[in-house]
Amino acid sequence: MKNKAMESNKTIVCIKPVVLSASGAKARSADSYGLNPFDRPALEVALQLKQKRGGTVTVLAMGPKPSAFVLNEAMAMGADAGVLLCDPALAGSDTLATSTALGTAIQHLSPFDLILFGTRSSDSDTGHVGPQTAVLLDLPLVTGVCAVETLENGLRVERRIDDFRETYELPFPAVLTIQPGSVRPRDIGLLEMAPAFEEKELIKWSLKDLGLSPGRVGEPGSATAVISLSKVQRTKTCDFLSGSKEEQVEELLSRLLSSGLL
Amino acid sequence: MDTFLTEKNRAVRRAVRSFCDDEIRPIAGEIDREASFPWQVVEKMGKLGYFGIQVPRELGGAGLDSMSYVIVIEELSSACAGLGLCVTVHNSVAVFPILGFGNDEQKQKWIPPLARGEKIGAFCLTEPNAGSDAAGLEATAIRQGDHYTINANKVFVTNGGVADICLIFARTDPEAGTKGISVVVAERGTPGFVVGDLEDLCGMRANPVTSIRLYDCAVPLKNLIGEEGMGLKIGLAALDIGRTGIAAQAVGIAQAALEEAVKYSRQRRQFGVPIAKHQAIAMMIADMATQVDAARLMVYRSATLRDQGRPFSQASAMAKLFASETSTKVTDMAVQVHGGYGYSRLYPVERYYRDARVTRIYEGTSEIHRMVISKGILGA
Repeated sequence: MKNKAMESNKTIVCIKPVVLSASGAKARSADSYGLNPFDRPALEVALQLKQKRGGTVTVLAMGPKPSAFVLNEAMAMGADAGVLLCDPALAGSDTLATSTALGTAIQHLSPFDLILFGTRSSDSDTGHVGPQTAVLLDLPLVTGVCAVETLENGLRVERRIDDFRETYELPFPAVLTIQPGSVRPRDIGLLEMAPAFEEKELIKWSLKDLGLSPGRVGEPGSATAVISLSKVQRTKTCDFLSGSKEEQVEELLSRLLSSGLL
Repeated sequence: MDTFLTEKNRAVRRAVRSFCDDEIRPIAGEIDREASFPWQVVEKMGKLGYFGIQVPRELGGAGLDSMSYVIVIEELSSACAGLGLCVTVHNSVAVFPILGFGNDEQKQKWIPPLARGEKIGAFCLTEPNAGSDAAGLEATAIRQGDHYTINANKVFVTNGGVADICLIFARTDPEAGTKGISVVVAERGTPGFVVGDLEDLCGMRANPVTSIRLYDCAVPLKNLIGEEGMGLKIGLAALDIGRTGIAAQAVGIAQAALEEAVKYSRQRRQFGVPIAKHQAIAMMIADMATQVDAARLMVYRSATLRDQGRPFSQASAMAKLFASETSTKVTDMAVQVHGGYGYSRLYPVERYYRDARVTRIYEGTSEIHRMVISKGILGA
């Protein structure tokens, strides 16, 4: 793997079409999806690196056909090409099966030198996929990166943990997950809209294209399964205090004291 | 509603809405109150392609279709109608005549900076004595050697205070009636080119509407767009496109008013329940939503016809008439839903109400549109 990945200046950004509103059995259309907001900073980092060192940015996503537009939107931001992994057998994949599919696709996209992920997704919030994919590809990984500097044949990156700043140097090819607040993603303009939808390449790969057996993805390839999904019933209540202002303040103070908040 | 849209159209909508949420909506109330033009935002918009929506990419534009154009105007206008006005007038009646009727040299010179928003365009037709009766204009552009000497008093010029490239409609042959009207580009800074004071308008206050006066202003003959005598033809063709934009603007304002009314009717409680639970309010919301939907469909039909290369003049006139009248009705209802607060600057609906009103007046009054539409049906 490492030998195949030469100094290609190709960055692959894995992006997720997230479900905007869980609506039960309702058929999903393009309006049901959006580009995971946590992936936008990763894409921005890739585009800034491209401005500095040249090369290309490929965006990679897994999802049903109606979600393909998130790749077009990423291309409208400046990515050069998009790849959608799309196969009915991918449905029901947990984070491990997703990492298997993405990792296999990344191998098909060799050579590359950098793979970026957001830290997590807005709809499932696990934060597994970036690290798992790095492990499957046997590549060095730094998570929660907030600054990236290119070296001759690698990167110097920074991550922050509580009040500490860690600096790492790692060789290409490498995997990073990008801290969402580290960079402001650029606005999607109108100028790149037409090329993103009409000119730039959007490849759709099925499991067959990847040479991946259905048993390794979807529910059969998953290590975990969601048993049930239900809406949380919030128990917050709101009490309006009555009486004069003085009485209301007295009542508020006594409640705060008795609850231990004061 | 979005059934008719391509993925590209939807992406355009999402991109514009996101930009409006971040950059425009937060300042819309303030720039209305202060009647100030938001240069910082406009510069960003220029870099993002908002000033060359349908300009071919080789001339520096975004090369998008008419449907994308109306979506951009609709979304911008729902955030700030004055800025929506700036963009629609620039893209349609200022850029289009040069793009559609200009020669290569003119396009190469003026279109790229216009498309990047580095220069702002204006359409100077209306005069104190020539509004609905455009053929009655008095401005003159008299050939003298290698230039035209222009004398003109143009009023209510949208973008007037910031425009660099102004399309001046003037008589090159004062004896030839409507066939003597031509359109000539006058650039700001030319000696004799005077920008008047800002008009103190009821709405659209973020737009620097001014008069523009030309006193013995010498403009090169090569600034003539098309041929002498083609002025009205070019103007009317541009207005067909412009009207669809104004209709989209009216839809955007109405949509914003509808959304505010829905939000407020869920929050405001009277007689122990949110006012949305009162049938009188719920019926108003239903009427507002239905009318906005119908107006939007008419705008999208007009844009679709243009994208298909089919005649769209009648569709554009109908869309403009219906959408502008809908916008004033819907914004009025939104004020009503808000009650006393709707009449206050605490809520944005009073701004929508003021902004909507002019859509029935500019780029052809409702009355002129009824004339145009009836001629299309009954014959001249």
